[in-house]
Amino acid sequence: MRQALPNLISVYPELLMAVGAMVLLLAGVIRKTPSIDRLSRLSVLLLLGTLLVLWLLFFRLEGRVVTFNGLFVMDAFGLFMKTLVLFGSIAAILISGPYLKEKQISNYEYPILIVLATLGMMMMISANDFMSLYLGLELQSLCLYVLAAINRDRQRSSEAGLKYFVLGALSSGLLLYGISLIYGFAGSTSFDALALAFADGAPTGVVVGIVFVVAGLAFKISAVPFHMWTPDVYEGAPTPVAAFFAAAPKVAAMALVLRVLFGSFPELDEVWRQIIVLLSVLSMTLGAFVAIVQTNIKRLMAYSSIGHIGYALIGVAAGTEMGVQGVLIYMAIYMTMTLGAFVCILNMRSRDGMSEQISDLAGLSERDPMMALALAILMFSLAGIPLLAGFFGKLYVFLAAVNAGLYTLAVFGVVTSVVAAYYYVRIVKIMYFDKPVVTFERPESKSLSMVLTITAAVNSPLSFILIGPLVQWAAVAAGALVP
Amino acid sequence: MYVTIVFLPLLGFLVAGLFGHRLGPRGAQIVTSGFLVIAALLAMIGFADVALGGHEYRIPVAQWVSSGELDFHWALRIDTLTVVMLVVVTVISALVHVYSIGYMSSDPHNPRFFAYLSLFTFAMLTLVTADNFLQLFFGWEGVGLSSYLLIGFWYERPSANAAAIKAFLVNRIGDFGFSLGILAIFLVFNSVDMQTVFDAVPDHAGSTFSFLGYQLHTLNTICILLFIGAMGKSAQLGLHTWLPDAMEGPTPVSALIHAATMVTAGVFLVVRCSPMFEYAPLALDLVIFIGAATAIVTASIALVQNDIKRVIAYSTCSQLGYMFFAAGVGAYGAAMFHLFTHAFFKALLFLGSGAVIHALADEQDMRRMGGLRKALPLSWSFMVIGTLALTGVFPFAGYFSKDTVIEVAWAAQSGLGEFAFVMGVAAALMTAFYSWRLIFMTFHGAPRAAAKVMARVHEAPKIMWLPLALLALGAFASGFLFSDLFVGDGRAAFWGSSISAHGDGVLEAAHHAPVFIKSLPLIMSIGGFLLAYQLYLRRPDLPGKLARTFEWAYRFLLNKWFFDELYDFLFVRPAFRLGHFLWRRGDEGVIDRFGPDGISKVVALLAARLRRLQTGYIYHYAFAMMIGLALILTYIVLQEGGL
Amino acid sequence: MLSEYFPILVFIAIAIAMSLAFIGAAVLIARQNPDQEKTSTYECGFEAIDSAHIRFDVRFYLVAILFIIFDLEVAFLFPWAVALGDIGLYGFFSMVLFLAILTVGFIYEWRKGALEWE
Repeated sequence: MRQALPNLISVYPELLMAVGAMVLLLAGVIRKTPSIDRLSRLSVLLLLGTLLVLWLLFFRLEGRVVTFNGLFVMDAFGLFMKTLVLFGSIAAILISGPYLKEKQISNYEYPILIVLATLGMMMMISANDFMSLYLGLELQSLCLYVLAAINRDRQRSSEAGLKYFVLGALSSGLLLYGISLIYGFAGSTSFDALALAFADGAPTGVVVGIVFVVAGLAFKISAVPFHMWTPDVYEGAPTPVAAFFAAAPKVAAMALVLRVLFGSFPELDEVWRQIIVLLSVLSMTLGAFVAIVQTNIKRLMAYSSIGHIGYALIGVAAGTEMGVQGVLIYMAIYMTMTLGAFVCILNMRSRDGMSEQISDLAGLSERDPMMALALAILMFSLAGIPLLAGFFGKLYVFLAAVNAGLYTLAVFGVVTSVVAAYYYVRIVKIMYFDKPVVTFERPESKSLSMVLTITAAVNSPLSFILIGPLVQWAAVAAGALVP
Repeated sequence: MYVTIVFLPLLGFLVAGLFGHRLGPRGAQIVTSGFLVIAALLAMIGFADVALGGHEYRIPVAQWVSSGELDFHWALRIDTLTVVMLVVVTVISALVHVYSIGYMSSDPHNPRFFAYLSLFTFAMLTLVTADNFLQLFFGWEGVGLSSYLLIGFWYERPSANAAAIKAFLVNRIGDFGFSLGILAIFLVFNSVDMQTVFDAVPDHAGSTFSFLGYQLHTLNTICILLFIGAMGKSAQLGLHTWLPDAMEGPTPVSALIHAATMVTAGVFLVVRCSPMFEYAPLALDLVIFIGAATAIVTASIALVQNDIKRVIAYSTCSQLGYMFFAAGVGAYGAAMFHLFTHAFFKALLFLGSGAVIHALADEQDMRRMGGLRKALPLSWSFMVIGTLALTGVFPFAGYFSKDTVIEVAWAAQSGLGEFAFVMGVAAALMTAFYSWRLIFMTFHGAPRAAAKVMARVHEAPKIMWLPLALLALGAFASGFLFSDLFVGDGRAAFWGSSISAHGDGVLEAAHHAPVFIKSLPLIMSIGGFLLAYQLYLRRPDLPGKLARTFEWAYRFLLNKWFFDELYDFLFVRPAFRLGHFLWRRGDEGVIDRFGPDGISKVVALLAARLRRLQTGYIYHYAFAMMIGLALILTYIVLQEGGL
Repeated sequence: MLSEYFPILVFIAIAIAMSLAFIGAAVLIARQNPDQEKTSTYECGFEAIDSAHIRFDVRFYLVAILFIIFDLEVAFLFPWAVALGDIGLYGFFSMVLFLAILTVGFIYEWRKGALEWE
């Protein structure tokens, strides 16, 4: 039984990343005094290179390419999500520099861990089988556990890492249990085979399996009630790590949710749509209400991200191609909003060190009008004020929900987004109308300003221009996932 | 090329707006004016190509929105109607830009002013090149916005701010009608693309649709809604009150926006939608009535105003009325022709009055002018040319366009046409009177300004003369040069398919009007001149006596038919009272207590409760996850009915 | 079917017999002279019965984790070695690649000093 070499062309980006990450690791470990700055730069270059290869590759591939005995799939959907993830990771590395310096974190593994986590996410996005899904997921998660605890001299950071690890292990257990149940009924772990096996309904055991799998994945996207780790980890982990957590892994995990549900259980949508509706409602509610009483802006962002995942799940719950398109648009916009907001948090450096209190933002419009403007744009966008990007994100998922007949869910989404708007707008109010108490000294960093400018710009009313191409691209990607 | 015309001003706006501080006033002026001059030259080439060469284009720019059945592209619709507007807008705008270099030279916010001017021009160009109604609406709101910004340009003056807000609010009423009209179009035709809609119009002739239980004539409803929008923008009777107040803005703005371009957008809209209006008889009747009424009412107000710019502003309202009733009787070519010539001579009058105001150190009251002809010979001659054109003296531009308008009203042979004709002729008399009154009060007689001011009166700098000279040329020549194309024998080839040819018979009949009808406007205009001459040069004591004798009439006119007071009484004060009531009793008493305040209390309570779930202990978290999982599982399995 | 497992039964029987023999021999023949240290259970340098909350050296864990990693690696090598004839060069190089990746990890832990006790 001699096997031919599998088609490797479609995994070139992942191969490049894997080899690159190992080379970087060796380069770091062999040097006596490795420079985290240089490794960060090289990592960014590596990720950019991957992005380039990914795009070049896509022009050579046609349609959907499955390789590694059906474990790995590459299609337009993957291209969309991988592009997002790569951008998220690049931004995360770019914005980390000043913070790491400030906190004197000199572990050169930091950028390499991000690269490896990104590799895991790329694997997740391209998974076409529960086996490859699990491998990618664990590669990503393990890196994230370490990243959360990277500032290991600080108790909060270690605590965050440990909490994330223990709960993550629990969720992995749930996921594996679900997978094994499904495997028990279908005799296969391949998404394609599962779709065939359950084309005419499924026994209750499979339904239970799906619930477990969704629970495992819901942990990764921090949907309620599997969200509990989020605020603690965001608060405890170093800020750039939290920014990374809020962006790329969420996108990748959402890609997994879509792939698993639409790829392997397309005919069981009646079942999983109910679960998703439930998660969505809970997430939106909790995200909107609990964020109101937060005083720490990182915790606020954690609840905000929980809420936003709830909105994105509306699109999943629709169960249609339009819904998927909405989710893709939403995730793309969500990522820029969140990254931008976190850059602002990173900019909150006063003489006494980094600040995380919302009240310290008071009077920012006088002290630093440009940053106040950028943050205001991002907050309005997060709140979903029309003409800003966040509005379009919500618009498309709500539209999909209405078209799928989920009127109640759409109305619920609108109501909670009104509640949520309160705490976003409150930040703007604090910045523009309250008396200043603290003067921030923004860390001098071109990359920070660059990421902030770009994210604020794409969320500003300029989004009117960008939304058209994004919508079309998302439509192509959604079409590749939902036949 | 057409894309360049439209986007050059935007580029100018961005450059001047973003880098104005770095460029300095000089740089901003050169950039914006330079771009506009280029755009104007290109527009003329386009005019030759499209209007004279007979080509038509549809230039896609970008896909804009695609949502369900709503799908439209951003495209430029280039036909004769568009290029006529392109030429008017870019030429006047370029001249106003150049003029403003001199006029605004002492203003510290120079770059901002030029940026706004260019922004306005961009918005106006998107309006006239619109290929679908939403794009039109975008331009429509864009000009509204830039008009608001420019009226309130001197934002330190409370009156300028008030005027800006008034203009904005009154326009909102019109815009509301307009947007309802667009919604109705989408509802009926399932498209907002102009060509699609116009092609489908004949199928809907006479059809009705039901709204809240009423059966409404489809096209009449749509057209009336659109016309309400046009009324707001073009300051027609009822919604005209903002225009005179808008004179608070700098004079070049008045010339560009409130005389030549933006206010004619309403006329443009009606003409653009002529294929639709043709099937909406009721709407057309309304257009005639409002147009004619505006022409006479506002002309009568202009008779007694003392502010030089207000006189011209009311005159603008009145001339817009002419354009509307011309369109209303179906002579769209005549309406556009008057729009075209009016742009030149009205801009000339505004800029000329600007030169006077400039010379008198910002004095606008004609009662403190007089005897300026010696000191300002150039201003005088330009103003006289403008006045000759406005009052329709042969061979100036107004003679051709205004006479055509009045003749088509006569030729319409309908009750409302007759009404419009009579009103038009009467308004022509008034026009001549108030125009000459303006000239005499400003330039003739004994100087009434303080001696100190008179000593320093000087002609404006050269850079302000060049635009005036070009406009004077236009006011003189645009009539006889283009009369054949716009309304004469060449009209069919000239307009092509850009306007409905349905009402062409009216124009034809107008050409065969009796000599008496044809000469009536000219007679009126001479009569007006003589009357003004008699009252203000020969017997300057008479006007005062007349005013005392007919005091009620004088007061009535001076207070602009009490429109503002009426609105104040009918809408503004009740609105304030209602607002106050709703605020105190309704909002704070009922809604706040049970609404925001109550809800926010509940929300805070709920949030505090939920927050307590977040204990920080891993086992609590894990417990929550498992409980959640168990509950979801139970729910789903029960739903499935499997167990 | 079941008869195939007969050798295993034999093995189990022999194993039980042997262990019984050794323990029995020790009880019968050896000289019994117990003291406290001798009777206590031996566990890797710790008290067998003690408070669960005591601190102990984290280096034990480091070594244990590293051991497990390489132990697992061997677990992969066994089936691979058995099937090597069937999977050919492709299989061979797959494992080489796997080992190479592991080697990267090994170099890392070596350079990081994880293998040094002090």
